[in-house]
Amino acid sequence: MNQFGFEFNIAIAEIVLHVFSKKAIELEDGYVPFLVDKSKTADIEVECFQGLPEVDFDALKLLFDAKNEEQRFYSIYEVAEGYCFVLFDQQTKDEIQQIAYLNAAFDNWKIHSRNAMALKYPMGPIIMHYLTLLTDAVLMHASCAFDGKKGRLFSGFSGAGKSTMSMIWANAGSQIINDDRLVIRKMDNQFFVYNTPMYYVDISKKAPLSAIYLISHFPENKAKKLSGALAVSKVMAFCIQNNFDKSFINKRLEFFADLCSTTPIYELGFVPNESVVTYITENEKQG
Amino acid sequence: MDIRTLSSIKSKFVARQVAEELVIVPLSGNVAQMNELFTLNETGKFIWENVSEDKTATQISALMTAEFDIDEQTAQRDVETFLTQMDLLEKYNH
Repeated sequence: MNQFGFEFNIAIAEIVLHVFSKKAIELEDGYVPFLVDKSKTADIEVECFQGLPEVDFDALKLLFDAKNEEQRFYSIYEVAEGYCFVLFDQQTKDEIQQIAYLNAAFDNWKIHSRNAMALKYPMGPIIMHYLTLLTDAVLMHASCAFDGKKGRLFSGFSGAGKSTMSMIWANAGSQIINDDRLVIRKMDNQFFVYNTPMYYVDISKKAPLSAIYLISHFPENKAKKLSGALAVSKVMAFCIQNNFDKSFINKRLEFFADLCSTTPIYELGFVPNESVVTYITENEKQG
Repeated sequence: MDIRTLSSIKSKFVARQVAEELVIVPLSGNVAQMNELFTLNETGKFIWENVSEDKTATQISALMTAEFDIDEQTAQRDVETFLTQMDLLEKYNH
């Protein structure tokens, strides 16, 4: 844990967040390599406060509930200025950890935290998700390996082998952009992959996106190229989304329709060893 | 699913044409349905786009015969099959 004082800039996928507070802010270690010069012009303002405000949630309209049978992650309510997020502590489960307000333009956060850790999970990923709505970008559950020329993105359900695939490509000499959560952003007519701050420390990375593989374990290496609506629906399923608003969905659909029309998409059954590297590179040569 | 039910839940989806097909995504208030996206082929797309409060299944079949140059019996069967497939959207009818 690092105490960073009262004001700093963080860049994620080249989007600059200006984070500031009247009290010192503590950051999880994974954010440290993403700190950038304070003179950089900020795209998003993030003002942090210690202490939680009194909010009558029963009087607000609930828009979205991120929870499963075991865990509550966060809820989103409608407020006059935009959205109110209530985030729950992932250890104690029911204790409110942060109450955060986001304006309708998605460029101003006010985060009230129980303690100095303003961006404590899941606050960070929520901010990352909403910053992608500001630009041509999406946040994905995926890993990406960059061999110096091509960035190959691997996505799939939990347990499909994203981390295994990362390890195989790392052993073959590729740089791993991230093995769990990353941003795809379109800049100057090209799609790029960026890593995001994680629980572990890693430098900020960027790679051109060359192909997307939707992976699963299989007795042999076998790729099938996808196209059209099927490709869009299968890739978009691994995008982190809060689909309570039609405009959010429209923006995602537009992005993925563009992405899938310019980037090869494959379903890939793979054997978890180095043979998949040879298989993929040979398969790409054959188109 | 009957045509009236489909008409009433259609507004809970966002649709986008990709090539000749359609991707439909449900509006959702929770993460459980985050990964649920559906694709409709050209026939399904035509039926989906023509479903409305004031159209019966028979009227949509008649439109299909003109659009796809198929006989009425085939069009009716296609609409019935499509409506049966749409049963999987029943959970969005609330």
